[in-house]
Formats: sequence, C-alpha cells, structure tokens
Amino acid sequence: MRLILPLLTLLSSCLISVSPGRAAADLTYEQHIRPIFRQHCFDCHGAEERKEAELDLRLVRFMTDGGESGPAIVSGEPGDSLLIQRIRDGEMPPGEAKVSVEELTLLEQWVAAGAKTARPEPESIGPGLGITPEERSFWSFRPIERPRVPVHDETSRVRTPIDALLLAVMQPRELHFSSDADRRTLMLRAYFDLIGLPPSDEEADAFLSDVAPGAWERLIERLLRSPHYGERWARHWLDVAGYADSEGAGADADRPWAWRYRDYVIRSFNQDKSFDQFIVEQLAGDELAGPKNGDFTEEQIELLIATGFLRTAADGTGSGDNDPSGRNQVMTDTIKIVTTSLMGLSVACAQCHDHRYDPIPQTDYYALRATLEPAIDWQAWKTPEERRVSLYTKEDHERSAEIEKEASKVTDERTAKQSKFIEEALTKELSKYDEPLRTQLRSAYETSGDTRTSDQTALLKKYPSTNITPGNLYQYNQAAADEIKKIDEKISEIRAKKPPHEYVRALVEPSGHIPETRLFHRGDYRQPKFEVSPASLTVAAPENDRTFFSSNDPELSTSGRRLAFAKWLTSGRHPLVARTIVNRVWLHHFGRGIVETPADFGRLGTQPTHPVLLDWLAAEFMEHDWKLSHLHRIIMTSTAYLQTSARSEEFNQIDPDNRYYWRKSLIRLEAEILRDRMLSASKQLDRELFGKPIPIQEDDTGQVVVDESQKRRSIYIQQRRTRPVALMKAFDAPVMVTNCDRRQSSTVATQSLMLMNGGFVLSQAAHMATVATEQVVPLEQRVAKAWQLALCRPPSDVEKEISISFINEQLAAITAEETKLPENVTPDQQAMADLCQVLLTSNEFLYVD
Amino acid sequence: MTDTQCSNHHSMLNVQTIRSRRAFLAENAMGLGSVALATLLSQDRLLATPKNILKNPLHFDLNRKQPHFEAQATAMISLFQHGGPSHMDLTDPKPELTRYHGTEFKDDVKFSFINRATKTLMGTPWRFRPCGECGTELSELLPHTAEIVDEITLIRSMHTGANGHEVSIRYFHGGIPGVTGRPTVGSWLVYGLGTASRNLPAYMVLTDPGGLPVDGVHNWSNGFMPPLFQGTVLRPTEPRIHNLDAPAHLHGTLQQQNLALLSTLNRRHLEQHPGEADLEARIASYELAARMQSAASEALDVSKETRATQRLYGLDNDVTRDYGTRCLLARRLVERGVRFVQLFHKGQPWDSHTNIRKNLPAACRKTDQPSTALVKDLKQRGMLDSTVVHWGGEIGRLPVTENHGDPAKAGRDHNGQGFSMWVAGGGFKGGVTYGETDDFGHRAVVNTVTPNDYQATLLHLFGLDPEQLYYVHNGQVKEITNGRNSRIVSDILRRPPVAS
Repeated sequence: MRLILPLLTLLSSCLISVSPGRAAADLTYEQHIRPIFRQHCFDCHGAEERKEAELDLRLVRFMTDGGESGPAIVSGEPGDSLLIQRIRDGEMPPGEAKVSVEELTLLEQWVAAGAKTARPEPESIGPGLGITPEERSFWSFRPIERPRVPVHDETSRVRTPIDALLLAVMQPRELHFSSDADRRTLMLRAYFDLIGLPPSDEEADAFLSDVAPGAWERLIERLLRSPHYGERWARHWLDVAGYADSEGAGADADRPWAWRYRDYVIRSFNQDKSFDQFIVEQLAGDELAGPKNGDFTEEQIELLIATGFLRTAADGTGSGDNDPSGRNQVMTDTIKIVTTSLMGLSVACAQCHDHRYDPIPQTDYYALRATLEPAIDWQAWKTPEERRVSLYTKEDHERSAEIEKEASKVTDERTAKQSKFIEEALTKELSKYDEPLRTQLRSAYETSGDTRTSDQTALLKKYPSTNITPGNLYQYNQAAADEIKKIDEKISEIRAKKPPHEYVRALVEPSGHIPETRLFHRGDYRQPKFEVSPASLTVAAPENDRTFFSSNDPELSTSGRRLAFAKWLTSGRHPLVARTIVNRVWLHHFGRGIVETPADFGRLGTQPTHPVLLDWLAAEFMEHDWKLSHLHRIIMTSTAYLQTSARSEEFNQIDPDNRYYWRKSLIRLEAEILRDRMLSASKQLDRELFGKPIPIQEDDTGQVVVDESQKRRSIYIQQRRTRPVALMKAFDAPVMVTNCDRRQSSTVATQSLMLMNGGFVLSQAAHMATVATEQVVPLEQRVAKAWQLALCRPPSDVEKEISISFINEQLAAITAEETKLPENVTPDQQAMADLCQVLLTSNEFLYVD
Repeated sequence: MTDTQCSNHHSMLNVQTIRSRRAFLAENAMGLGSVALATLLSQDRLLATPKNILKNPLHFDLNRKQPHFEAQATAMISLFQHGGPSHMDLTDPKPELTRYHGTEFKDDVKFSFINRATKTLMGTPWRFRPCGECGTELSELLPHTAEIVDEITLIRSMHTGANGHEVSIRYFHGGIPGVTGRPTVGSWLVYGLGTASRNLPAYMVLTDPGGLPVDGVHNWSNGFMPPLFQGTVLRPTEPRIHNLDAPAHLHGTLQQQNLALLSTLNRRHLEQHPGEADLEARIASYELAARMQSAASEALDVSKETRATQRLYGLDNDVTRDYGTRCLLARRLVERGVRFVQLFHKGQPWDSHTNIRKNLPAACRKTDQPSTALVKDLKQRGMLDSTVVHWGGEIGRLPVTENHGDPAKAGRDHNGQGFSMWVAGGGFKGGVTYGETDDFGHRAVVNTVTPNDYQATLLHLFGLDPEQLYYVHNGQVKEITNGRNSRIVSDILRRPPVAS
C-alpha cells in the first residue's frame, strides 16, 4: 500500500492540466510561459537567427533588455510591460491566431509575480529554441523505467502485475474489479481478440469441457498458434501502415504487388517474430538483404517485401503527379506513416517550422528525412513502376528474349502501318485546304518540332486539326486505329507466352547514392536552406547525447542510414517506440488505449490514463524479446481482462466510462470481422491464406461489393482507396488516405438497412438456414442449431420458445399473404432463414462481450 | 502538408466543437442515453488539454447543430448540369462573337479534342432578349428561366482553370481540382449542421433513370468523413434507396416480424448490459431504418401533389416528366427536413461537341421548365428565402467551332476559363448578374468566381464560417477549400457579411 500515493499523484497530474487554485507566485517562465510563446511568438522572436524588431523571447533577461521598441517586460508591472500591452491590444501576434484570455491572464500574473524562472538562466544559448528540461520531462519523452509493482492482499483478486497496477489507482476511488465472466463469454472474447473468428462446435466443446487447471492458458496458446492469428493482427498493423491496393493521388492506379507485403505482415505475426526485428526489416530490409548475386534468395525476397512498409504512402508519381510537389508529398506521407506508427507522434508540423506544441525543431524533421532520402530522393525519383523489383530469374530472361525476337517481327509491321495511316489521314485532312496552304501545312507538319520556323508553328496552331499523332489517329480514321489495335493484340499474344513476370513492391536504395538533405524554409522545396545530417529526434535521446547516424556506412553498399535508424528505434533506449506498440496492443484488447490518441503522444494528444502501467508493459515487452505473444499472455490472464462486462450501478456513478477498468468494456466487431463471422456462421468461409487480393466490383446500383462467389476472409479483399466496399465502409473500415491510426465505431441507420436488406447478409442467412436444417428434422433442434451457429451457444428455454413461435408466425404470414418466395425456397426454409438473419444481425452477434 | 495548410490550424479554436457537442447532447440525444451524456461531459473535464487543439467529436451524429452565426439558408437543392452548358448560347450574350462569326480567333485556346479543333469563331445561332424587370438577357432557349430571372443571381464569371470534366467536377464538389476522396458540399453542410429530418437521410442524391453521371459515385462522396455524411442515392427505379426496401418476398409482415424478433432479442440482450449507450443506439438505429422505409415512400409519392403543381413541373409532358418529377421530389424532401438535395443527369447532356443546334435545345427542353417550376414553387410556398437553388455545370464551352465537316454538325469544345451558373433563394439576391467574361465569352475577366469562392459563399449563407468549419483527419485540419484562396462573394448576397 505504500506505493499508492506516488502513483496517484502521477495519475492525477496527468488527468488534470492546471488546477485553478494555482498560486501566481509558482509560475515560471519555463513551465508556464514558454509553451505560450512556442505556440504564438517564437517563429519571429526566437526560432530564427533574425529576430523581428530585435526582440528575443527565449530568455527572460532578453525580454527585460527588450528590442527596438524598448523593454518587453517590466518585472512586477504587467501594466507597463509592452509585451502584455501589445498582446492585449490584439496587435501581437499578427494574423488571426490570438493568445487566449486565459493565456494572457497567465502572462500578466507571471509578470506581476516578478517574471520568475525555474532556475538561473544560462550565460549564453545557441541558435534555435533548444529543449528545456521541462519539455524533456514530458511524460512520453522520459526514459522508460520499469516501475515497482505494488503488493496487494489475497482478497484483491490481483492475478498479474497489470492487475496490481490497475488496482492501485482504483482503490482510492473505492472501485475494484468485477467478478470473472463466464467461460463461454471468455472463450468468445479470446477467439475474436486473437483470431477474429468464432470457435467451431468441436473447439468450443473441447474448451468448455476442459476443466483441468490451465485450460484458459492452453486456449490462448492454441489461438496464438492458429494461422488466423496472423490475419487478425496483421489487419491492425495494416491500418497504421496505411496499406492499400491502389496508388491514390488522382488516378488511383492499381497497385498490383502490394499484397505481398500484406502476406509478409501476416507471416510475421504468425511466426511470432520479435517486434524489434519486424521493425528493422520493414525499415531497412533492403539494406539487410544486401546486393543481388545471381537470382535472389528466398530470404532476400522476404526482406525486400518487408520494405513494402515504406511504400504504402499514396503515390501519384506514376500517373501524372511526377513533379517536385508530387514527389515531396510521397516523402511527407511516408514520414508521417513511420512516425505515427512507430513513435506515436506526428512530426508533420515540423516540416514547416519548429513544432508549436512539442519540442521538435524543424531540423529534426529534416534529420529524419535525411535518413530516408538516399532511398526516397525527390531529386532522383523513381515511379512505382520503376521501383518494383523483378523476381525474374536468369532462366526466365533467356526464355523471354527468345519470345521477344518473335514479337519484334510484328512490331516492325505495326510501325510501318501506323506511319502509312497517319500519312493517309494527313493527306485527307489537307485536301480540305487549297494550295499553296496545303503544301505549307504539309511542310510545317513534316518539319520536326524543334526545327520549325515560327511561321510554321503559327500555321499549325491556326489549323489545329492538322496535328495528327498516333494518339489521336482514332479521331480521324477509326478503322485504321482498330487495325493497329488488332496488331497490338497479336503482339500481346506473343508476349504473353513469356514466363509470367512477378514483382515485389519494395523500397530499394541504390548503392552509392548519397544525396544531401536540405532544410526547406517553411516546408517549401523551392526554398532549400542549410544541409541537415541524418539523426534521431533530439528529444528522444538524453540531453547532449543525440544519436547521429553515419551518412554512409562503409560496411554496406547502401548508405546504412535506415538500418542505423531502425536499430536506434529498437535499441531499447527509445522512449516512444515500445510505449507506442504496447499501447496499440492494449487498445485492441480493451477497445481503448492507455493513451487514447495512439498516434499522438505529444501535448496535442491525450495523456495516459495509467502512465505507470504503460511503462511497466513497455519494459516487460522489451525484456521479453519484443514478443507480442508475451503481451497477449500477460494481458489475457489478468483479472482486468477476465472480468465481466456488466456494469454495477454503484461503480457506474463513479466511473461511467470505465476509465479505471473496473469491468471489461463491450467492443463492436470491426467491419472485416463482422463479415468473416457471418461467413463462418453460414459455413461458407474459405479459410485459404495469402495471395492476390479478391476482386471487387460495382453492382448495377453502383454499390461496390465483393463478388458473391468470394468467401475468403476480408483482409484479402482488394482495397482500392477510391472504391471502398459498401459493407466495409459502412462499418467504419478505413478508406485509406494516408494511414488510419484509430478506427471509429459509428452507429447509423445505413448499417441497419444493410443488415436488414443487404444482399450479402440475406444470402448468408439463407446458407445458414440450409446448414441448420440439413439432416435435422425436429423444429426445436433446428432452432437450437441456428443459435449455435450464430451465437456459439444453445438458446435458453425462453429463447427457444420465442424462436419457435417466430417461425410459426412467419409460416402463417407466408400462407396468409400468399408470399411469392424465391425459386426453390420452401416456406420452412424461408422462415428459418429469417430466424438466421435476425440472429446474424442481433447485438449479441455484433458485439463482443 | 503545405505551409498554408499548416498555418491554418493555428488560428482555429476547439471551442466550437465542444460547444456544439454539448448543444447536441442537451438538445436531443437520440439513441444516446443519459449515461452517454454524463460520459461525454465528464470527458470534457477529465481530459482538459492545451488550448487550441483541434479534435473531432467522439461521436458523430445527424442531430441539428447550432451554426456559427445566424443562417439565412437552411436547405439547398443543387441542379447539377454535367457536361458544361454553353454559356454563350444560353446565359451570356456576346454581340462581338456574333460580329466576328467565322473569323479567326486571336486568343490562345486550350482544346480537348484536337482533331476537330478550329480557331474559327462561332456566334450563337440563338437570339437573346432582356427578361423580367431586371432586364437580364437570356437566350430564347430558356423561355421558362426567363420567367424567374428576377429571383436569381446569374454569375457569368465562373472559372475553374481546367477544361476537363472530372477535374472541374471534383473542384466543385470537393474543393480541390481533380482530387477525389474528399467530402462534398453536401457532406460539409450535414456535418456542420445536422438535419431537421428524423426519418429521412440528411443528404440525398437524385440520379437519372438513364444511369450515373460522369465521375459516378465520387459526385456524392463523404471522402475522409464517416459514412454518415455520404449522399444517400435516391435511385430513379427500385430500390429507390440502397438497401432501403426488403426484397419482394420479405416485404410487409415478414420483415415486420423479423424486426419485432430482433427488437425482442436486442432488448433482452440490453437487460443483461444495462446502461450500454451503444446498444441502445443500435436498437434506435433499426427503428430509424424502419421509419425511413415508410417516410421515404410517403415523401416519394408525387401523386399527392395537385394537378396544377404537377403541370407546373411538366409531369404531363414526356420530355419534362422525369426531370420535373425529380425537381418536385427535391422540394418534397426539403419540405420534410432534408438538408441537401442534388440532382444529376445521366452522363453529361450538356457536352455539346457536335450538333449543338440540336442537342443544346434538347437539353434545355428537358430542364428549363422543371428548374423554373422549382423556384416558382418554393417561392409560392414561402420556402425560397431559406432554400438555396443552384443550377450549373462544371465548365462552359469555347467560342470557336468544333468542326465536324458539315457546318450543321458543328459544336463547341470544353472551356473552364469562363462560364455561367445561377443561384437563387437562401439569401442570394434576385434579378442580378455578377461578373463578366471577355467579349467572346472565353475567359472570366471581371469578378471571377471559383468553385472555392462559391463554396465559401454557400457556407456563409448557412451560418457557417468557412474557416471554422473543419474536420480533423489523420491529425490534419481539413476545410472544404483545403486552405486554398477563397472569398465570400458579398455582392450577390441580400445580407452581406459585416466587414470586420
């Protein structure tokens, strides 16, 4: 019990920002005033070498000395302080953003109380804003330290350190854990959390009848070994990685080889790969793979596929956006994906200026960019097609060359024909004009563009219809264009005999490419400033011990920058990485992160509800070889996880939102799991793993749907950014723009309509009815079977009774209204299908308890 | 992120979000129990965060929201004219163009179809005449529109800068030329203001019986916003709303009994989970879905209208029946509280590359009377003052001939440099024209209006500050204009914004 007090203090200081009763005398520049200046003033009065009006706000004595207009503050005299006056009059800061009334009051109180600093100011300071100890001590930048775990007495139901840490915060609020949920509830919870599919009847029976100690642990192990575990948890990672099967940005071109990365992620989770290794492979797989020597080895291919992580950003450079702005956008998005997924921070603001809220100088942003630049260089760009890595072997190449020889005969024929057709079209077009204009036009046309006289150019402009090209030939002679098309088909046919070309969507750094990275003034690539070297975030390393990465590792053919970066991230000393990952795992088990903004651990994000627990988990994770399986085990064997979801009225008054984890919160199934569960209930699910995405199409009403015949898990559905599948989108699956750091869970009428009348649901209900009635005759047993299929439990007596009378009512209605049923459907089948549909769309089906 | 985008978020306040969230909870927490209310309010306190942080509300809904300031318009009907109506033949008389008909055009022209391109100017074959009390000149092709000219603002200086259809369509709907994946004007209005209708979708799209317009479903995308803010398509044939109606064999008693059982099971489930706001909300959403079924069929039944009204919209005429019916439906929907309705044509009927002499009059015959009827009908019912009506396409057409050999087959190519559209009601002035194109109708030269200006102006009429209406997506603040330059076109508003 001794430890509770400090724990509590930590927690409450995180939940409540500044208490209103704070004494003005306690205000210090570093803690209270500098954040205001960082947000509003430093751009002109501190960050840059040139200070507006020669006023520097970085130190209090600079303010007292003042700038061109005289002293900015007069200690103890807010009324006489120019800084206060200018802000109060709305003259400063210029522009629309203004200092709030509360902030102004704070400034006045601080000046009135003597403009105190937390410590003596340094004799001199370097350029830029630097990072103060206050900023460095923000919770997420502090080193991860394994906290001591409090000891509770035996009646406390503490099973694991997680419970001990949670209970320590609960007890002062007179909360405690709820009782354990029943075994069937727990079983479903485990199945949906770990593999996203319900148990089969046999699996359910096996667990429920296993009363020996350790049954729960054995279930967890079984599920962790299931190949479906990887599918379930890969989906979480693909959200943050921004996975899509199309390029986005304008044309949203197909991204045909992205799926290999999706499969790599599934495999990695199934192998229980250490997460540090997983990170290193994704960030620097190409550097690990080393140069190609003959054909790629399997291991090299796997490492190259891993770098697909750095290729998920929308990339329009293959379809019209191949300009500096399009290229820089890809770099910006890639950095955003890397930082939000691995560091729980979006550093995007620092692209244009020092971050307004977090201690991230603009130079840090470019140091990060320098890490990626040898591979993603906007000045030596490669389009998606140019970046793909061919898996062609030497043998494939030889065979292909032979076939190409055959094809080239036909291409010669095509070239000749096309010139002829264009000539004919030109002659015809020119025949509309009289001489000498006709000859003048022809000679202008036939003169190549760069040698034309200005008169000739003008002439062609005046008669635009004479500008015939292979591209617009069809507009003049459709038959000719068709003939060319036929020849093209013939060429394609020949070429189709080549060994199929397989590719990897990878990021491969060219060897010996060491570009310089320059800081862009205001984020504008047209205003490059000084050069920046690759390095870590300043605030993520101890003071004066920032990690710089070698610009060019002599041991590698590549620069080695990403490998060094990845190793630093996974060194165990990075304060953000492990916290970010464990927070995500917690989020997927409990429906809410310890930090509710999983991609923002900065001042704009929310504070952790349980900072000590977060650190304990992070330390535990790293000590156990960065294994997710270990996290699952320690989380799922805790009382916090095992307790029931029921609300007690008393505790609900104290903590209605369950922020203290006195019960397990209900979670709605995600879109993919909803579809998968329905396919599973109807026994239609095709459990094949991996491979090319399953195609989508628009139905005749314009809704994007998955073809009826496709019964594989939803993770394999093709993810076009601009053509989301209606069912998936309605249930909040991300429509990928950059990446998705957290899903919404909405409740809207369109979802209900989809469940009531949507083709997919109706057809699953019909399939399920068939399964429920096959070889089962008594209605009572059919009903029981339907409940079992949908909800993995038999109906209670009341439920059975309700269901049977429902079926009888449906049958009566069909007879009374002479309902015309679909072909080959009997009234019995229809009534059963209706029951199945109700079960498939019930809240018990949609929510995990 | 560009610097413009980034600087925007420093100027905005979170106050709005919090206030409107509280307002909606206090007003009408449909589907959310008092538990949720307490929860949300307690979170505001518990999660006190630094100032000026932009976040979305925790839950999205369609409950009515307070605008930023007093709204002039509360609903909008947009009659989108895909393809690019030929302004120099319809709304923008150009005597100089007629005078120089047949001569070579000196200006540089961007063509889309080079093989048929010429630089020969083509004067309009139709007569213009002053109409209404305001005397605005309109083409003889629009005899009906002539009757409401005193109610409309005719903007003659629209400009997208791009000739392509999709590029300009996306600019009009989503705020950035050529970019998809963004919420449309309807999404923003519904996101900002919610809806007065409890039983109908807030944002409805009336498509053509012939098929989808050019650019398909992007025309009513919710982009990065939740699906709640997507346009619901009211299809011309069954099913009128996606998944609204049960298949024939479930219709009626069968589905009612389905829903009754579902409700029984869900309520039993809720008894075991008392106080779960989300479960309550889902039960409510099934009830709403069921109410929608009957509300929609009532709203769609135009036979309830008087013969006079039906005739006004041209329902007695084969040529105007379809468009007239949809215009009439639009009014019925707005009457029932729908916030935003948009009508589309199949493909792009105004894309007059060939045979402009035939197909332009045909497109006019189809739309002129129904569009006019809508404005008259709204006015008559006292709804025009609060309902914006928009009529316009994404581009206009070139002053030069698109040549197809036979002069009778001549047409005009695309032109995004200058074109017309009109707006009426909801706070727009009546009987005025705004802006000008050059002497040939090629480029907007006076008081140019871009789609972003138009969007900012619309939001203003709905009581929304275009810079304060934002959505936080992936940690970035997004507005309808995406931080691009835009202005509220005060000159065409009855009550222009007070200069600050």
